[in-house]
Amino acid sequence: MDLNFFLSSALNGVVYGAFLLLTSLGLSLVFGLGRVVNFAHGALYALGGYAVIAIINQTGAGYWTALLLAPLAVVPIAIAIERATIHPIRNRSDVYTLLVTFGMSFMLIGAIEYVWGTGTTLLKPPAPFEGTVEIFGNQYPLYRLLAAGVSLAVSGGVFAFIQWTPIGLRIRAITDDPGMAEAIGVNTKWLLTLVFGAAAGLAAFAGALGAPIFAVHPEMGMGILLDSFLAVILGGLGNLPGSAVGAMVVALTKSIGGGYIADWSVAVLFAVVAIALIFRPTGVFGRGRVA
Amino acid sequence: MTARETGTRLLLAAAIALLAGLPFVGVPQFTITLLTEALIFAVWAMSLDLLVGYAGLVTFGHAAAFGLASYAAGYFAREVTADFFVALLVAEAVVGLVALTTGFVVTRVSGVAFAIISLCIAQVLFQVAVAWRSVTQGMDGLVGVPLPSIFGVTLGTGTPFYLLTLACMVVTYLALARLVDSPFGRTLHAIRTSEDRAAAIGINVRLHKWIAFVISWAIAGLGGTLMVFMKAGTTPMSLHWAESGNVLVMAIFGGIGTLLGPVVGAISFVFLRDEFTTRFTAWQLAFGLVFVVVVLAFPAGLAGIFSRAWNALWRARS
Repeated sequence: MDLNFFLSSALNGVVYGAFLLLTSLGLSLVFGLGRVVNFAHGALYALGGYAVIAIINQTGAGYWTALLLAPLAVVPIAIAIERATIHPIRNRSDVYTLLVTFGMSFMLIGAIEYVWGTGTTLLKPPAPFEGTVEIFGNQYPLYRLLAAGVSLAVSGGVFAFIQWTPIGLRIRAITDDPGMAEAIGVNTKWLLTLVFGAAAGLAAFAGALGAPIFAVHPEMGMGILLDSFLAVILGGLGNLPGSAVGAMVVALTKSIGGGYIADWSVAVLFAVVAIALIFRPTGVFGRGRVA
Repeated sequence: MTARETGTRLLLAAAIALLAGLPFVGVPQFTITLLTEALIFAVWAMSLDLLVGYAGLVTFGHAAAFGLASYAAGYFAREVTADFFVALLVAEAVVGLVALTTGFVVTRVSGVAFAIISLCIAQVLFQVAVAWRSVTQGMDGLVGVPLPSIFGVTLGTGTPFYLLTLACMVVTYLALARLVDSPFGRTLHAIRTSEDRAAAIGINVRLHKWIAFVISWAIAGLGGTLMVFMKAGTTPMSLHWAESGNVLVMAIFGGIGTLLGPVVGAISFVFLRDEFTTRFTAWQLAFGLVFVVVVLAFPAGLAGIFSRAWNALWRARS
């Protein structure tokens, strides 16, 4: 195998990793905050992809406007889901939220199929980014690089928000110790609703941003959901920097490993994650929460 | 035996007799085929219930046991002999080996971690089925599995195979009913109620969870073996986590913690899915809605509703 092949696989990995980062951050935040394993995250990501297309077709808006509006359309749906299904069963065992969000994922995918059909749509990259640039001797789509940059920038924004704002401080307090946070007056329930909505917004934004790269179809969120789980577990549940590293590890393993040992790379990845979760339940860096 | 227990047994016997009699009273072949599939799923859903309902271990990877048995039995039947019991034995050996090793490790944890690790294990098997093309034929799947034979007699599709499936389902039900009522079953119940307290009174929690895991996989293996003969083949999708989700839906919809619940759940799942997919474009929407409502409002499922009515009936009489 020549070096160019390796480098372009790596580049594809970084692009995918940037998207994975956006979806993993949301999953990790919601888990850290409420121990909610959100199986509907992938469906919310898909909803973002459909929302951006619907907004462009219905209102004639440009791609960039639609990209900003799509998450705003998904956030209220997610908040309604949290209030209606997760909020009432917060006092039951953690696995119930897993089951409920799994059912919600079924419903959302079903709703997408009902409204938009089961077909696959591929959005054209917006002008002037539809061209390619030459990297490592190959023509590489310009939009992919741009989208990866945008994903990384937004993820950086999320980090900054969690690190430096009062709400971010509360989120970190709850992730550290929910009982203590509540005792000093943090409203954990409303914050969970808000963060669940924000996480869905991030997923939808990723789905919308990825619409010109990955095909938009009802089940498009399933693959990225599973990969995000892997990333979040590797990095430690609730540990945001860990999730970021996890996202890159998963994406690079898939793209580089996939080029050399085909589908075996993913088998190895799942095995590694299963072993990691058993022997390092707080993630490879040992700073996350125990599932 | 109280009158109520006798009543329950008579009702069960009547239900089995009814199921066995269906092919002989002019029920269409298509319905029998659906029912065969439903009964296979019932075996699988009962095996899941042992883990979820009795041991309290929610798994998102139960397709692993089912699909693995399908591949092992199907491959063996095609390459060596189509004898049902020999193929079943081979499948159980493979499933048992994997269950013993993976089970030993995963039963160290419970709750959400168990759910996710079991999902990971199933996905490893799924990816292996996709990647190991020389044996599994990749995404095309294993094809050309012959009809099963029992004591040298080849079993035709349709009614004969349906009766075999029904027999397997009934045996599974009776064996599991005996198991969950045994001291072992009671111990599992104690573990599900509180792992810490169970450990405190001297129960070896990990050992019991491990045994339950292996038994559950072995029973799922019976379901997988039946399925590969019914469909004359299998694909990696039988190992996919969407299938693990489906069987969880069946068990919870029917009612976990009761053995009849998963049976009712599996039958309703197969017939509702058939009904929805032929008449209604968004069956996932309707099914997801029903599932969410059941989880939120009726954690005991359909069986819970039935048994409450049945108990009320007997209370009213006495």
